[in-house]
Formats: sequence, structure tokens, C-alpha cells
Amino acid sequence: MGRVNGKVKVKLSAMAKREERWALLFVAAPAIGFLLFMAWPIIFAFLTSLTTWNGAKGFEGMINRFCGFDNYIKLLQDEKFWKTVVTTIIYLIGIPIGMILGLVLAMGMNRKIPGVRVLRTMYYVPVISSLVAVSILWAWVYNYDYGLLNVIIKALTGMHGPNWLGDEALIKVSMIIFMVWKGLGTSIILYLAGLQNIPRSYYEAAMVDGANGWQQFKNITIPLLSPVTFYIMITSLIGGFQVFVEVQVMTTNGGIGYSAATIVYYLYEKAFESFQLGYASTIAIFLAIIIFIITLLNFKMQDKWVKTID
Amino acid sequence: MKKKVLSVLLTTAMAVSMLAGCGGSDAGGADANAEASVASSSEAVGASIEVKEEALTDVKVEGDYSDADLTVFIYAQEHEKTVYQSLIDKFTETTGAKVTFEVTTSDEYGQKILAYKAADDMPDIFYVGPEAVASNVDDGYLLPLDEYVDAEVVNNLWGAVGSAYRYDGVTAGTGEGSLYCLPKDFSTFAFAYNKDLFDAAGLAYPDPENPYTWDEFLEVCKQLTKDTDGDGEVDQWGTANALQWALDAFIYTNGGHFLNEDYTQVVIDGQQEFIDAFQYFADLTCKHGVTPTVEQDTALGGYQRWLDGQIGFYACGTWDVGAFMDKNTFPYEWGLCAWPTGKTGVSMTRNGSVGFAVSADTESPEAAAALITLFSTDLEGQRVLSGETTGVSLQIPNIMDYAKGDYKAKVADGTIPYGENIDVIYNYFEGTDKYEGIFVETTYTYNADWWTAFLSGGYEYVLNGEKTAAEYCAEVQPAMQEALDAANEMKAAAAN
Repeated sequence: MGRVNGKVKVKLSAMAKREERWALLFVAAPAIGFLLFMAWPIIFAFLTSLTTWNGAKGFEGMINRFCGFDNYIKLLQDEKFWKTVVTTIIYLIGIPIGMILGLVLAMGMNRKIPGVRVLRTMYYVPVISSLVAVSILWAWVYNYDYGLLNVIIKALTGMHGPNWLGDEALIKVSMIIFMVWKGLGTSIILYLAGLQNIPRSYYEAAMVDGANGWQQFKNITIPLLSPVTFYIMITSLIGGFQVFVEVQVMTTNGGIGYSAATIVYYLYEKAFESFQLGYASTIAIFLAIIIFIITLLNFKMQDKWVKTID
Repeated sequence: MKKKVLSVLLTTAMAVSMLAGCGGSDAGGADANAEASVASSSEAVGASIEVKEEALTDVKVEGDYSDADLTVFIYAQEHEKTVYQSLIDKFTETTGAKVTFEVTTSDEYGQKILAYKAADDMPDIFYVGPEAVASNVDDGYLLPLDEYVDAEVVNNLWGAVGSAYRYDGVTAGTGEGSLYCLPKDFSTFAFAYNKDLFDAAGLAYPDPENPYTWDEFLEVCKQLTKDTDGDGEVDQWGTANALQWALDAFIYTNGGHFLNEDYTQVVIDGQQEFIDAFQYFADLTCKHGVTPTVEQDTALGGYQRWLDGQIGFYACGTWDVGAFMDKNTFPYEWGLCAWPTGKTGVSMTRNGSVGFAVSADTESPEAAAALITLFSTDLEGQRVLSGETTGVSLQIPNIMDYAKGDYKAKVADGTIPYGENIDVIYNYFEGTDKYEGIFVETTYTYNADWWTAFLSGGYEYVLNGEKTAAEYCAEVQPAMQEALDAANEMKAAAAN
């Protein structure tokens, strides 16, 4: 045993040393993976955001187009970008709607009712379906003349339904409905798992104490589901800020007056249509910062409302 | 028990509503996006094209390029791929060169070529459109072809397309400077009319020698716009306006333009020629009702309505001809005509092209140049692509002598199926006192962001009459200018 800088250094046996080397090797695989596929791309994106690089001439071309923080200043003054930020935030309205619906349906399916497995499967089908495929289908559902929605509206009221994807406000509503539909299966499955984890005895004890259904729901179900709610909220928020495919598939040029375009849609346009990779990376970094702050706030605030059985 | 029943009912009802999204629709195949419609039109016929082996037996290639190892990266449909693969096989067999042929879709091409650029590892041969020549040359990607391509070959190309791929370091497409690509094709966006609808309305066919004025065009469109089944709703229209493609034809014929002469300023705000043309274009929809409304257009695009026989006049790219001649796709008689004329009295439309470029870094410039010459101007290859040996025309031949001679004669005698009045296309290619085909202004700017800004500003409000063209132009010009300034900054940075 020796002392190095006041700390005790344990002398390892040959076998322990060998094990340590193996351990390092095992740790190295994910560590290298993280550095190569996570850390480096983030650093590279940040470096790119400090340039006006258009993809030309590789790394050297990028260095030659260094512009400092000009892109960030430009981004803050970019009206089109802020329009996409507002639209993206509006789409987040779908998250609480999806969570409430998911919870209600999960409670419905947490009972021993006939055909419950079929129902669970049906609700989960959109989650495992290709996003592009279901976006195309929903573009048809919203079709002005031939869409399912307007056919139903016409059959019920005799009047022609609205132009769902051709109106600045309605296109947002249409997208939110689609996103709720697409994500509902995930919320249901998670809430279902959460509900089945709550010990039956809690409800029995509450019933003995005279609590009614609403009181049980409010004081047992909601608090004990809060870790699930927290998880769904965090993942939905992160996903919500990254919406792209449905906008690309269901709209033309980001919708009328760019009303359906999201942050990532704008990023894509800048990167792959205008070849402004520097500016697109600035948007990516900005987006990463927003997501980081929101996630951090959520984690900081979780102590106030997330409860566990323990 | 009650709760159980309620649960089942509620969840079932919601499940049904969820799966409704997976339900079908009997409208079939509609596409609100005009761009996609146009682009996909030739894909539909492509699958049915068969290239017979004997069609390529006369292909001639000279030279020994056994040291060359080339990579060709392009986007192509299956039938085009077959033709080019056959040419490559012939090339490798004769010259001893090794060629790797990579094909992608047109949608993915931009991203993939960007990846090649970022990796600084360009393929030897790749596609570049006229609009991207300047930026690619400024970034050092393109090999000047002047010393590798026979002048006779270049002189036998259509004049406009030869000029489009020249760049003098200042402005591309003016015919000055070195040649950087050989054309894969040269196309134009002509106008077509449905003869059956004209017959039914008792109207005389358009005269290609005397293009309609705007007033005459409107009058004919009014007579073609009808409620054919008597249900009180119009179901046949004079024309359909796919703004992204058709607006140019109205703006330029009226003497209007988006940008100033040196492509540094957007000048649509207050420019009467532009505003009048845009307003006329919009009035066809919102005032005169001779096109489907904006809502109807989003439900079923003009292209599908044209194929369905609901539209009198519609744009016809050279790549559309194969589809329009296929009776299963378009069971109507049709002919080509001129876009109507505005103030200038000259019918105008956009020409288009994509070219084969050779990388500046290629180790085998002679071999690469020989291969793109084969792709672009080999007579047998052109016979296949332009429909002589397949019966489906996808492009007008690049070789002018052949196009104007043998090819035209075979169109006239019916050997090559083509819509009536092929001269309309040739007129737009070459220009006459009544016709002019042009490369639109995005060709001369560093990127097309300013045009995207015009499209994403809400032009639909002009088409549905909620805004005037003048109001829209004033409103959207700053965003367009900002995009153009950014493009010009990028150009300046690349040039330094």
C-alpha cells in the first residue's frame, strides 16, 4: 500500500489488474461510441455554426468561412425563424391533450373487459406505423373535397367542410390532431403499466376510509402515476421540438404563408435546399439549448410534483 | 357492470376513430403538390419502357482508357438507368475503363451530393443544373470541358442549352466563358390543350402560329368552363394554375421580372408589368372562375384534373409527352400550343435542363469527358431516350441535327408518338418573333431562396382574392430581398 498525494493507493493483484483492464475495455466501447457519435457531432455542429460553410471543400472549406457569432445574431433577428418557433410551441398543445386522453383510455383498458387486448393493439398500431405512411394517409383524411373528415361533415350537416390544410389556423389544428393520434398509443401503454403498478391495497384502504372514486383518482392514481406523467412529458417535449416529417409530407412549402413550418423544417430547408450548413447548425444549436433548458427546468421542478410509492 | 359497458363503448369508439386514419379513399392518386405531380408524371410511364439490346449495338466509342476508374453519380428513373447502364457497358467494353455507376432519386440527390462535397470526395461524373454551375465552379468542383469535348459536338447542341452551361466567373448562362457540362436533356414547359373538350364546346383549336392574347385566352377559357353533369357545380375548367410552374409564363410575356438586371435587387413591389401579370393570373381563379379554386386545387391538383379530362389547357413539359400519349393515362386527343401573350406579344415559358459535369479532381478527365459525350450526344442513346426505339418520348434529342431532321420526320409520320404541333417546343428552344423560352431568374442567382420566400409568403391569398397582387408584392418583397442578399453574400464568400 502506498500513498500518493495523501491518498491511499491500493495495490492490485495481477488478477484484479487483468479484470480492471477488461473492465476498461468494456467501458471503452460505449465511451468511444459516445465520443464519436454524440460528443463529436455536437462539437462539430457548434463549430459549423460559427461559419458560413455550404458543405464545400470539406473541413478546410469550413475553416475558411469562419464568421464568429454572426449566425447567432442573424438568427435572433430572423422573423421566419421566430415564426417557426411559435408554430412549434403551438404544436406542443397536443402534449397535454394526448396525455389526458392517454390516461383516460388507459384507465378504460385497465379493466377486465372483453376484447381489451384487441383494443390495446389497435391503439398501438399508429405508433409502430411508418410516420411518412400515416402522414400521407392523414393528408388524405384532411383532403378538402375527398377527405374522410369533410365527407363526414357533409353527410352530417349538408355543408362543405373546411380546408383543413389550406388555412393558417386550421392547418395547425390538423397537425395537432394528427400528432395526438400518432402518440396516443405510447401514452396508453405507459399509463397502463403505471396503473398496474399501483397496489390494489391503497384503493381498498381508501374505500374503507370512505373515499369516493374521484377522491381515489385524485389522491392515489394521479400522484402515483406522476413518474410516468413526468417521463411522457419530457420525451414528448423533446419530440415535440423535433417535429419535421409530418410537416414535410402533409404540406407544400411549409403550409400557406409558412404557417405549418416548424423549427426543424426550417433547419432542413436551410441545410439541404439553400446549403447554408453554418446557419442550419446555428438553428440546431439553438434548438438543443431550448430543449436542454426545458428538460433541466422539468427535472428541477419534478421534486414538487413527482411522487413515488417509496 | 355499467362502468364496464361504458368503458368498452368509450374505448371502442375512440379506437374506431383512431383507425379511421388508416381508411381508404376512392378519390385515388390525387396530389395537391403540383411539383410532385409534374415530377412523378414521367415515372408513371418509365416502368413500361424496355430497352432492346439491338438498339445500342451501333454505339461507337473510341480510345483506350484502361487506366481510368470512374464513378458516375446521378439521379435517374429505372428506364433511364437502363439506357445509361447499357451505354456504360459499351464504354467499358470498348475502352477498358472501369466505371462504378451509382443512381439515386431526384429527391435525395441534393443531400447525397452535399455529403460528397462535405467529405471532399466527389464522384468523377455527376449532375449539375444550370442554376448551380456558378456556385460549383466558384467552389472549385467543375472541370472546364473546352479542351476535352469536340467543338463539333457542342455546336450541334441546342444553342440555349450550350450557353446555359457556360460561366465566365461573373454570370452563368450568358454563353460567355468555359463550358462546364454537357446536357443530359433540354426541356421546355409548353402549353397543351385537350382537343376533345374543344370539339365538345364547338371551338376552333388554338393556332400555334398566332398565340392567344390574354383577352382571347380568357374568352376561350370561359367557354370551356362548364357544369357538365348539371349538378350545379362547375366540373370542367378552362385551365388550372399551378403557380410554381405557370406564373413565369405570364410574368415574362408581360415584360415583368422578379429581379433587376444584375440580380441584386428584388423589384416586384410597384412594378406594373409584374403586378398586372400576377393579378391577371389570380383573376383567372378568383374573379373569372375559369380554374379550380385554391381549395379545389389542394384537394386534387391540376395535373390529375387534366389527366381526368376536366381541364382545357394545361402545362406540358417535354417529359410529360410519354404519359400524355399513353391512352391508359390520358385517353384524350391533345395538341401543343403557345402560352397566351401579354404586353410584349411574345409567348414565353421556362426552359430547363440538367447537365453531366466532370469533377475538377478527377484523375481521368479524358475518359470522363468521353463518357459524358456518349451520355449526352450518342445518337443511338438519344434514339432510345427520345422515343424512337421505345415508342415513349421522355425528352427531345440533344443533337439538333437529329431533332430537326430524322426525329421530326418520324414524329410527323407517326413512328414516334407525339402530341400535335411539336414545333411549339422547337420554337421555345430556339426563339422566334412569337416564342421565347428562357431560363428563369433563379438560374442566375446563387440559390433559389428568394423564390422560396415568394412561395412561402402566402401567395394563395392573391389567388383566392383576399389580397391584391400589388399588396402581396409589397408585403413579400423584403423577405425575398433578405434571401437574395444572403445568397449574394454566399456567392461573394465562395468567390474569395
